[in-house]
Amino acid sequence: MPGSRLFWSAEGRFVVLVPALLVSVLGRGPIAAASTPPTFDEDIRPILEANCVSCHGGDAPQQGLDLRTSRAILRGGSSGPAVEIGSSANSALVERIVAGTMPPGDLSLTESEIALIRHWIDNGAAHEAGELGAELVTDRDVLPIFQARCVVCHGKREQRGGLDLRTREARLAGGDSGPALVPGAPDASLIIQKVEAGEMPPPDMQYDYAVRNPTDAEVATLREWVAAGAPPAPEEVASPEPTPQLAEGDGDHWAFLPPQRPAVPKVTSQAMVSNAVDAFLLRKLEERGLSYSEEAAPLTLLRRAYLHLTGMPPPPQEIERYLQDDRDNRYQLLIERLLDAPEYGERWARHWLDVAGHIDTEGFGEYAPRRQNAWRYRDYVIRAFNQDKPFDEFLTEQIAGDELAPWKDQEATPELIERLAATGFLRTAPDPTWEIEFAFLDERMNVIADEVHILGSGLLGLTVGCARCHDHKFDPITHRDYYSMGAILQAAYDPYDWLQPKQRVLDIGLASEKQEVDEFNAPLKSKIERLEKSLEKEAAPYEQQLLDERLAKLPEDVREDLLRLSETAEDERTEVQRYLAKQFKQTLEISTNDLKERFESFKTKAEPIQKQVKEARDQLKPAPGVHGLVDMGGEPSTSYLLLRGDAFTPGQPVEPGVPAFLTTHLDPFEVVAPWPGADSSGRRLALARWLTQPNHPLTARVMVNRMWMRHFGRGLVASPDNFGLTGESPSHPELLDWLATEFVRSGWSMKHMHRLMMNSTAYRQDSRKDGEAMATDPDNVLLSRMTMRRMDAEQLYDSILMATSRLDPTRFGPPSDLDLSDDGEYRATGTAQGFRRSVYTLQQPRTPISLLEAFDLPQLAPNCIVRNQSNVPTQALHLMNSKWTWELSRYMAGRIIDAAGNDSEEPVREVFLRALSRPPSRSETSESVAALDELRSSWVERLMSDRREAPIEATARWLALANLCHTVLNSAEFAFID
Amino acid sequence: MNSNGGLQSVSRRQLLRQTGLGFAALGLDVLLAEQAELRAAPAVGSPIAPKRPHFAPKAKNVIFLFMHGGPSHLDTFDPKPRLEADAGKPMPIKKEVSFTPPDEVGGLMPSPFEFSRYGECGTPVSSLFPSLGACVDDLCVVRSMVGDAVDHGGAMLQLHTGAFNFTRPSLGSWVLYGLGSENQNLPGFITIKPTLWHGGGKNWSSAFLPSSYQGTPIGYAPMNVDDVRKEPIEHLVNKNVTSDQQRYELDMLQKINRRHAADKAHDPELEARMQSLELAFRMQMEAPEALATNDESEATKKLYGIDDSATSDFGWQCLMARRLVERGVRFVQCTHSGHEEKWDHHRQVARRHYASAKEIDRPIAGLIQDLKARGLLQDTLVMWGGEFGRTPYAESDGRDHNPYGYTMWLSGGGVKGGMIHGATDEFGYHAVENRMHIHDLHATILHLLGFDHERLTYRFDGRDFRLTDVHGTVVSDILA
Repeated sequence: MPGSRLFWSAEGRFVVLVPALLVSVLGRGPIAAASTPPTFDEDIRPILEANCVSCHGGDAPQQGLDLRTSRAILRGGSSGPAVEIGSSANSALVERIVAGTMPPGDLSLTESEIALIRHWIDNGAAHEAGELGAELVTDRDVLPIFQARCVVCHGKREQRGGLDLRTREARLAGGDSGPALVPGAPDASLIIQKVEAGEMPPPDMQYDYAVRNPTDAEVATLREWVAAGAPPAPEEVASPEPTPQLAEGDGDHWAFLPPQRPAVPKVTSQAMVSNAVDAFLLRKLEERGLSYSEEAAPLTLLRRAYLHLTGMPPPPQEIERYLQDDRDNRYQLLIERLLDAPEYGERWARHWLDVAGHIDTEGFGEYAPRRQNAWRYRDYVIRAFNQDKPFDEFLTEQIAGDELAPWKDQEATPELIERLAATGFLRTAPDPTWEIEFAFLDERMNVIADEVHILGSGLLGLTVGCARCHDHKFDPITHRDYYSMGAILQAAYDPYDWLQPKQRVLDIGLASEKQEVDEFNAPLKSKIERLEKSLEKEAAPYEQQLLDERLAKLPEDVREDLLRLSETAEDERTEVQRYLAKQFKQTLEISTNDLKERFESFKTKAEPIQKQVKEARDQLKPAPGVHGLVDMGGEPSTSYLLLRGDAFTPGQPVEPGVPAFLTTHLDPFEVVAPWPGADSSGRRLALARWLTQPNHPLTARVMVNRMWMRHFGRGLVASPDNFGLTGESPSHPELLDWLATEFVRSGWSMKHMHRLMMNSTAYRQDSRKDGEAMATDPDNVLLSRMTMRRMDAEQLYDSILMATSRLDPTRFGPPSDLDLSDDGEYRATGTAQGFRRSVYTLQQPRTPISLLEAFDLPQLAPNCIVRNQSNVPTQALHLMNSKWTWELSRYMAGRIIDAAGNDSEEPVREVFLRALSRPPSRSETSESVAALDELRSSWVERLMSDRREAPIEATARWLALANLCHTVLNSAEFAFID
Repeated sequence: MNSNGGLQSVSRRQLLRQTGLGFAALGLDVLLAEQAELRAAPAVGSPIAPKRPHFAPKAKNVIFLFMHGGPSHLDTFDPKPRLEADAGKPMPIKKEVSFTPPDEVGGLMPSPFEFSRYGECGTPVSSLFPSLGACVDDLCVVRSMVGDAVDHGGAMLQLHTGAFNFTRPSLGSWVLYGLGSENQNLPGFITIKPTLWHGGGKNWSSAFLPSSYQGTPIGYAPMNVDDVRKEPIEHLVNKNVTSDQQRYELDMLQKINRRHAADKAHDPELEARMQSLELAFRMQMEAPEALATNDESEATKKLYGIDDSATSDFGWQCLMARRLVERGVRFVQCTHSGHEEKWDHHRQVARRHYASAKEIDRPIAGLIQDLKARGLLQDTLVMWGGEFGRTPYAESDGRDHNPYGYTMWLSGGGVKGGMIHGATDEFGYHAVENRMHIHDLHATILHLLGFDHERLTYRFDGRDFRLTDVHGTVVSDILA
């Protein structure tokens, strides 16, 4: 059907869209052209002028909708086009008028006026050139069409046919076949001929380049533009930045003003003040007649500090060491030891990786490929925490590591790789464009939107996503602000000149790494080659036989031809032979699978070989590379504000920038070349510089608030992802500002902040709830005690490994894979030493480690600022009934018996120390001993009937101890951080 | 465990792997906490404890019989004589977006099935549903359903969550959030053998609502019932130790936990945790009983068609739905699907609709009769339908998707029986009379459960969300 178009639908089918225009032209529309269709000038304009243009006209039309010209109507306003050509039923203009919402007030259109508008729309909403209602089509109108449909082949990276369509000059200059257009003569213009004939974009290339045909309206625009003489964009295109629509007082919202360092208050119980943190907290408590609780018991504090800083309970020898340490400052020394421990970076990197949304695959789909080098970003973050990298530097490297110094054609050093790997921060969002079906413009926009979301929620603590479709309803973030932020990324993530993930891999690795991979892969590669050759050899006779069989079914003359064809090398074939080859593809092409299906004997031979090939391939190490985001160089394409967030309805062009309401108290966001002669736009570096200004209202506050939340269970701002007008007010605004300014003053030292928080008296309180504090402060907002919390998923997982001696401490490098166990659980692949920490396992969002998932592992789509903490029976079922925890419990029992024997009380003590970081009480010991005895006899009975080879009594005692380990690992005390 | 392998015996995770869906999305972490005897901190009370709605409800429970693929209204509940008269002629109405390849667009296609009037009300039902026909006096047939999405994924999401383009809480999650559940030992929102296609877990996810309101799947569409029954909910069965040994462990665990809680002055968090542990084991005890059929009489099993291999699968699902509702589970969904959709018949609509209808006719009729006989129908809203209907014009010898006008039916729970609401045009393409958008259906369901759909809200990301977004009108014509 002419004019109909195939689209690839979300469910993987081609959808035929018949342009509404065409249908109505053919007279099948609901209002068949009975009389001459109305024209804009004669029929429509008078109606709109009488009823609408007093608001939708002039210099600042309401909602950006100008109803004075037909073109402006088609362009629409902030909620999209006002008219869908050919379908009055789907046109917002008609919908609003009919519903009576427009025009507002008493005014309303008559039935006949409405009918006329409908008729006009259903007949194509046309206007005649030269009509008053027509508006000159300029470069401004066609640039977005070229960007969306053409520049991928005729632009920065490719200039097919010598043609570049990015700029006016280049368009007029044309390409190898001459000028692309003849101003004023659309029919003589190549570009119009090709586009209207459906030859451009070439149908057979659209899929590979993830480009779709221009719409009819776009085609019409192109024609009109050429007909009008291809006029340039009007001067005023760089329309004055609209002043942000700040409601009265919005800019005065506390979080949008720079933090001021408050004086540290004096309090009555000055003896309880360990540092400024306590002074601020105690002042509020004293105002309510409250105070701190007692200090927690030493072993409680020890376990708390270990779990908060390293994510795991203390090893038993550390418990002894701490108890025997009689120095006054043993607690402070403990904090220092833990901040120096490599496990600190592993734990706190996990928190940051939530904010960044780090995953090791391109997304959630079944076949989403691995991000082979994403682990380098994870390692970068771990090292940064362990080195106490200043937070401003940390952010700058992640946002613009590539723009800090030249990196192209440099020698690959560990420093260079680290700096580029840091930019993996902006490559965390699920990127479905690895698959060409999902690489079209709208999906690309989604990737960028996810990254903007990460910047907004993670660094600014703002819900910017609302402004993707319209001005934010509550915060002063405008629709334009949103796309200005997107434009910062456009030099690296260019939606009109898109790079698929595989095109973004930076082929940079240390020479030693490359050599190591080559050496590792060499024998595998030759093995694969050998196996494939042997498979070919096996296949040859079968192939011949199958071909003969297939040919036998064809008429004789064809058979001859095909036989000859199959014996002719591909490049020597005649035109006719090539045609035949195409026509008889199914006959001539014989796959290994075809052979396996046909010949059982071949299948028997082939499958073991194929299996070996697959195994060898799986073992191949990928070439070293970096997963990061770098500037693409050259001039980025023009960015647009997208009406209703729709990739295909661009509005005004926008420049890179930051939300206008945040610029008042700061140095401006200024894009400059990162270094003289740099082929890098400097946009992201400008963002990093702007964000890390010492008096930035949000950067430091947002980060210290999250650190506070990790230590105390609740942020000073209880909505850490929303510092905007609908966010929670800070419980202790002065403390928050003191911490934020102290953070900056300390050189953005995260370890300094840990020390302040953890050495405070507040942090060292007991968690017991006494009646008075519970009544005054039930949610513990004032911190009259410590808040007891359940471990998060990774703390639980890592702690189980630690307690059961199954932790493989290998650090850094590619992650451990995941396996589906025979009881249907996803687990990490074990190593000889056990299992690596969760942060070193494959972060695979589709099917993560089942235990983590059961305990509220977030789906990083794209990131997570606050984790959900659920308490559900399926968690209990999982810990109690999964095979994995039982296996680990048996292992734990085995190691305890190895270390402490299996006589009466000693193993019981070990179980409690390892799991709960405390010795058992007297009654716990005696009860456990009694239970062990009962369990032992139960096992003896079972083992007798199983006729095991192992010594029954010893095995039964071991398994009984395993039951005890399993029980303690299932206890609330194990899973909670007191 | 699945030692025998093969297509019929797929484990949950194999399925998840095959269909590309994450575990978290499936929300197996049902929250079930008992109505608590807690001294303090109401925040840790059970999130699914029964709650009062805005006003007195007509329905207490919902059973949603979801027909995956989109059954043809023209071949089931919406007879169109005009299709007979104009058979083969091109459809005179402008076609909306469709999936039909241009060379397969056919003319108007009359239904291959005869319609007969049933019951006192005389509602016509096609020969596909002889048993269900006998129930029409209890059915409110809505012939004017309208949705916005023409693809399965979007349409299913809209039917289940109201939104076809975002991840939003499922209808069942909203209901559980609003009403809680009567049984604290079972999940409050159960979806039996859901399909993992077309949004999969998003169709029963709680999205931004707390995870306690997620649906708990019992098996998945392609699993056979015997495999589902072995372990209906993951990790429900301990295969590592004997039940005696587990009892010893639990005794010990109880002691350790009690002592710890006492030390901590009975911290509500800890108490809640202990309760969830105890509940887990009550669930371990109660769920197998709830999902067993051995205490059902042969007559009952026969009523649901469990005696016949064609109807035994969906019959089991319907029987489970009754047993669960009987035990106070708030929202139960049964999905009629399998290795592929059961109702997406772009080709051979006559043969394939016949086969699919046969699988559900007796079970659904049995369910309605059984609910009625047990006095449960008056409190239980039963709802039947697919993600859309099908086109009056042929696609080859089948029918294409049609969200512009199609049929669903409701029964029990405060809905008028024996009535027809709304109508499509004479070809059955667009709903033209009393159009009932999915948002209106949702608003009406919430109304029956005692909620003003505009006031059942949840604050997330800085604004109040509701099931019906900014739409939805309660259709009072169908209220009893």
